[in-house]
Amino acid sequence: MKRAIFTSLLVAVFVLSVFATGQTAKKVLHIYDAFDTAEAKYYIDAFEKETGIDVEFVRMSSGEVLARVEAEAANPQASVWHAGSNTSHINAASKGLLAPYKPKTDFKLTGKLRAEDWAWTGFYSGAIGFVSNTNLLKEKGVKAPSSWDDLLNPAFAKNVAMAYPYTSGTAYTTYATLIQMLGLEKALDWWEKFDKQSIFQYTKSGTGCIPMAGLGEVTVGIAFSHDILAKGVNKGYPVVMTFPEEGTGYEIGGLSLIKGGPEPELGKKFIDWCYTVRAQNLFQKYNRLPVNPKATVGKGSLTLDQVKLIDYNHIWAGTNKKKFIKAWRDRIGK
Amino acid sequence: MIKPGRKRQEIIGNLRLICKEPLLLVSILAIFYFLLTFVVSPIYMVIKTSLIVDKQFDLSNYLAIFSKRYYFQPFLNSMILGICTASTGTLLGFAFAYAITRTPIPFKRFFRLTATFPIISPPFVVALAAILLFGRSGSLTPIVKIIIGEYSIYGLGGLVLVETIAYGPIAFLVLYGVLQAIDPALEEAAMDLGASRAKVFSTVTVPLAIPGIASAWLLVFIESMADFGNPMIISGDFRVLSVQAFLQITGMYDLSRGSTLAILLLTPTVTAFFLQKYWVARKSYVTVTGRPTGATIKGLEWYVKLPAYATCLLFTAIIFLFYGMVIYGSFQKLWGVDATLTLKNYVEMFQVGKDYIFDSLTLSTLATPITGIVGMFVAFLVIRKKFIGRGLMEFVSMLTFAVPGTVVGIGYILAFNQRSVLFPFVLTGTAWIITTLLIFRNMPVGIRSGIAALQQIDPSIEEASTDLGADSNKTFRKITLPMIAPAFFSGLAFSFVKAMTAISAIIFVVSGRWNLITVAILGFVDNSQYAQAAAMSLLLISIVLVALGIIQVMVGRIGKGARTVSIVG
Repeated sequence: MKRAIFTSLLVAVFVLSVFATGQTAKKVLHIYDAFDTAEAKYYIDAFEKETGIDVEFVRMSSGEVLARVEAEAANPQASVWHAGSNTSHINAASKGLLAPYKPKTDFKLTGKLRAEDWAWTGFYSGAIGFVSNTNLLKEKGVKAPSSWDDLLNPAFAKNVAMAYPYTSGTAYTTYATLIQMLGLEKALDWWEKFDKQSIFQYTKSGTGCIPMAGLGEVTVGIAFSHDILAKGVNKGYPVVMTFPEEGTGYEIGGLSLIKGGPEPELGKKFIDWCYTVRAQNLFQKYNRLPVNPKATVGKGSLTLDQVKLIDYNHIWAGTNKKKFIKAWRDRIGK
Repeated sequence: MIKPGRKRQEIIGNLRLICKEPLLLVSILAIFYFLLTFVVSPIYMVIKTSLIVDKQFDLSNYLAIFSKRYYFQPFLNSMILGICTASTGTLLGFAFAYAITRTPIPFKRFFRLTATFPIISPPFVVALAAILLFGRSGSLTPIVKIIIGEYSIYGLGGLVLVETIAYGPIAFLVLYGVLQAIDPALEEAAMDLGASRAKVFSTVTVPLAIPGIASAWLLVFIESMADFGNPMIISGDFRVLSVQAFLQITGMYDLSRGSTLAILLLTPTVTAFFLQKYWVARKSYVTVTGRPTGATIKGLEWYVKLPAYATCLLFTAIIFLFYGMVIYGSFQKLWGVDATLTLKNYVEMFQVGKDYIFDSLTLSTLATPITGIVGMFVAFLVIRKKFIGRGLMEFVSMLTFAVPGTVVGIGYILAFNQRSVLFPFVLTGTAWIITTLLIFRNMPVGIRSGIAALQQIDPSIEEASTDLGADSNKTFRKITLPMIAPAFFSGLAFSFVKAMTAISAIIFVVSGRWNLITVAILGFVDNSQYAQAAAMSLLLISIVLVALGIIQVMVGRIGKGARTVSIVG
């Protein structure tokens, strides 16, 4: 009793270190997820219900996942990296952070949809498009942009939003698409003009510009088609989606097994599940394009063969990311 | 001057005293260990990481920062923002404090409450409200456009506006204390001697309040530089350091350069903290006479009253407008497009957000008492005990106040994602990294309320207890503790508020398993789901208010006539 106060203090202070050791023993699959929380939860709940496997997931942007996985390389905390543009997965693969795994599927995953050594596989896709506010278009008396150069139209001065190419996979895909079409120097020349004339502001996340266009904060946003549909058109915003006629780039959503993760077997089960028709059908709700040919495409979604695509080289875009980003920041200065 | 010999004797004496009480020695060592592990080592890791490229010592990060416009510009922007906000915030705080301490304005209690309201709400709610009101499709935008023409709320102007509202109240609290402690009799004496009102104001009131004004300015400067939530929401293309450091790490996975940006942010805030603590605070002219002060000056002219009253009314109106807008916005169907009123946002918020609410409550409730107890204990050691390293202990434990949350957050991911000599457990991804961060980040609040409480107790009471044969433990338990309880609980209340509304450091250490409301709100804002963000902010504010009410009742039970303790400054 005499020392009660000191002892209780010490207990209070030491409680931290004691609890830090209390690790959970039950089998739970840990996932790093690059989908938004609500969407991630939608798929994972379905998986848990179907398989009875418990999942704990951490929602982060794909950049954050890569940083986390790299920092934890000595002691990985999660087994699966779910979603995020495959450029980030390619990046992680080049750093040796992923464990190659060939998922069991009832269809053939073609060359574009996987790494050569199966370090990552693609499980949905979507093309880069423009989202425009119909009210503002009418007010200005212009048509929605239908080519890259339309974005330089003075009618859109300070009225275009998109994410920073260095924080968002969406914006980086846009940038890499332009480099592939024009070459680095010309792409930067174009962007410099675009940045000065048309950009209102850059956002942090790739989807941020869609509600901005919806709310009339800007006239045009640049984002992935599935996001434009799910977060713009289907939400009831007065927006319309268009694509550049010169051709556009597209994303493949990546899925991979983290090297040395704590539950590799459960992780493989999850990856296999992601390619089943039932799992792929769930993409309808968020307008993503399934890769399983037997799955149903969501209403209103465009399939990739309806849009003019360039032969977008994901591997090249992923491996050169650091160089291209540096060039962009050096030139644009943001 | 103390002769070296005597000094040595004193040290030996101190040592002997400590050795007589081994438990005291153990607790001092324990506190030092925790400060080293959870305060010093994260900051050290940030510095180290900024100096190492590819496992070698390298200054290239710093060279890059001073040669590249896109790194240097955010530094300049942050400084400009800090200076502007500090000036407007201090001006606002002074006018408000002057009105309440010097003029006979009615409803003083009411005005004081509204002025401090932004302190208990998450700071970025102000930015959210500003977008709802003045964004491109804001409710008041059409009217404002008629008055001032085309404008954009995104950028420096909008940021200064929202940060002045969010942090001006801190200046108010500091200056309220200062002006209250300056005896109005001095000003009245000057008036009696024939000085004009303007002369009294410029030669008596302001000079006496200058150290307070400088303190307030520096504190708002620190808050504004370190602010993360508001710039994240409303800075537009005006890029500031705290956000850039965050993007560098989460967007480009570049820990090394992100740390360098963090150091760039750390330098001015720590400098301002030093100025405030060791220079300005010592110049204080305020003397406590024991006489009741704070009496208002009679017969003030209209040209003094008018601006003071106008500031009070205007600021109060702004507070009502901003928070009222958040309430209104939270019921709109699709904010900006469909203004039909609905409860759907609240339903959606509970579906998506109930885990966040649970986590925020659990972790804050866990961290708050520990913050309070450790803080009080450190205060007790620092004020009442003599031991080697006492000054160091005080300095280190107050340091977290000056270190921007961004730096602390980066430091925590660097320090605790691997085992180290100091701390052999991996904390990343657990609840404990969030809890420890909350504890040590809010420690200055606990210590400050502890110091304030202890200073009100005459040490001779404790000495009497010791003389009567009680040892340190018993004296602390039977004498000191009951006397400091009220201050202890107001410290608790404030650290709970800080824990619930934290964002800048927390955003680096949250995980899917453990996530917090504030981070969820920022996520909603990022997707322009303003209505859901507003609903969740309101919920957060309600939780904080309920908790404050509970603590108030507890204080009322324990110490009659409890006094609240100044929590900033």
